[in-house]
Amino acid sequence: MENTDTKKLSHKTLSKSFNLWFWGALTCFSQEHMQTFGYLCSMLPVIKELYPNDAKAQKDNIQAYTAFFNTNPMLGSVIVGTTASLEEARANGTGIDGQTINDMRAGLMGPIAGIGDSLIDGTLIPILLGIALGMSRNGSPVGAIFYIVVWDLIAYFGQRFLYFRGYKLGDQAVNFLVGKQGKAVRRAIAIVGGMVVGGVLATWVNVTTSLQLKDSTGKVFLDLQKQLDGIFPGLLTVIVTLFCWWLMAKKHVSAIWTMIILIGVAFVGVVLGVFNPGLKY
Amino acid sequence: MTISWFQAAILGFFACLCSNSCMAGQAVGNYTIGRPLVGGLVCGIVLGNIPLGIACGVATQLVYIALVTPGGTVAADVRAISYIGIPLAMVAISSRGLNPMGANAANMAKSLATLVGTLGSVLFYAVAFLNLVWQAFGWKDIEKGKLNNLYGVNFGWPWLSHLVFSFLPTMLMTHFGAQAVTALRTALPMDGIPMKTLFTVGAMLPCVGIAILLRQIINKALDFIPFLVGFTLAASLHLNLVAVTVISLLFAVIMYEIEMAKGSDNSGSGAQTAAANDVPVDDDEEEEDI
Repeated sequence: MENTDTKKLSHKTLSKSFNLWFWGALTCFSQEHMQTFGYLCSMLPVIKELYPNDAKAQKDNIQAYTAFFNTNPMLGSVIVGTTASLEEARANGTGIDGQTINDMRAGLMGPIAGIGDSLIDGTLIPILLGIALGMSRNGSPVGAIFYIVVWDLIAYFGQRFLYFRGYKLGDQAVNFLVGKQGKAVRRAIAIVGGMVVGGVLATWVNVTTSLQLKDSTGKVFLDLQKQLDGIFPGLLTVIVTLFCWWLMAKKHVSAIWTMIILIGVAFVGVVLGVFNPGLKY
Repeated sequence: MTISWFQAAILGFFACLCSNSCMAGQAVGNYTIGRPLVGGLVCGIVLGNIPLGIACGVATQLVYIALVTPGGTVAADVRAISYIGIPLAMVAISSRGLNPMGANAANMAKSLATLVGTLGSVLFYAVAFLNLVWQAFGWKDIEKGKLNNLYGVNFGWPWLSHLVFSFLPTMLMTHFGAQAVTALRTALPMDGIPMKTLFTVGAMLPCVGIAILLRQIINKALDFIPFLVGFTLAASLHLNLVAVTVISLLFAVIMYEIEMAKGSDNSGSGAQTAAANDVPVDDDEEEEDI
């Protein structure tokens, strides 16, 4: 646009819009509209700066954001930033309309949710928590504080980076995430995720059987457990985990029912003497 | 150990901040204040026993190492896990005289917090339901062109939902629950089948959390290999998580190079193949995104 009165969003407005998203993406969550109101609030400063003193235009343009929206809020900030730039383009009369913006948002929220959930919730957070748990092993608050500081810095500045990257590049910004290179990065990250999850399991979970004798102090010295450990250390832990995975992924049992099934397994095991935590007052 | 009204009220306030439709921002509220590890620290400070709080937080965090809420469906609720479950577990552990750092205390905490967390998903849906009312106000405001009112809809009114379904339940359940948990000590002896089952389940529950993660990562049988390698590195070679992560990065780099070297005709698992002419120019830049 070579227009003399080209509209340009100020950094202050973009910053405000980002902060509204960061703090408000889900504050008025409902099953029906999910992040819609967070998105609406986040776009208000943008719309107001582009259409000052024009209540009608503000109202008409905010309509695009009343459509249902839900994605991973961390990576989703790239979509919010992108729409800010599209909104700017629309105000400058480049032929972009609300429908285009909506199609872009609708097309991206699914992939971004899937990528974000596996990258953030499935990889980054387990790594951070795994490290933090190790630091807090003896009841020390250091690990918890480590997690609070590191995660929030990553979350705030990471989301901010994505927002402004989305604004700068417009609809090209997301090509990376859904394109070939993005796919390669995701495959690579999946390896990290898989190995770290295995490490977390081995470090923190220890399912043992007591299918042998215990002495009067309640200390268990058992043959079956020793033999299992001779085959593969932590074998029982892996088996229980894969059993839960099989129930949920292959049999489509919900997490709650999986837990209830575990209660059943534990109860039968306790009655038969396979499991015994060996407790006394 | 008992929980006074004042302590219960502080826990209720934190429950408001962290619940899934969170008052303190998704990253700060749900992902920070709501994580059981952080909840353990907060509960430890509020109840005056930080090591016990942290120990309960560490134990419970394992179960919820991957608390993903795809499409807004929750199997467990962070406000209930962290600010109802952990305080009650702390009371139970101290009233039973268990060693806070021991495995039995940890299993007790896991079982109790998970039970409360699962029940607490009712609170999650209740808040989301009440929010529909405020959203209805929001639609009317847009209709009338009162756009500024949207800030109130998003940031103000939901506090009422949380007052009713986060603050009050947390305050009541921690205050009265602590008395009930103490009273249960005599009803359920430690060497009885119910308590044995409870502790055994506590040891197994983190497997569910890990399995939820695996469900995301594993699409085909070969995907199990990185998982098993990671497990073996830690279980057999006793490497800590930082070391496992560093080793996994090596494999990740190799995987990235292989994927990029492949032609663009690899259909793979049906992923999006948009932007086929996307030129790989700035490798180091992409890493920042993650």
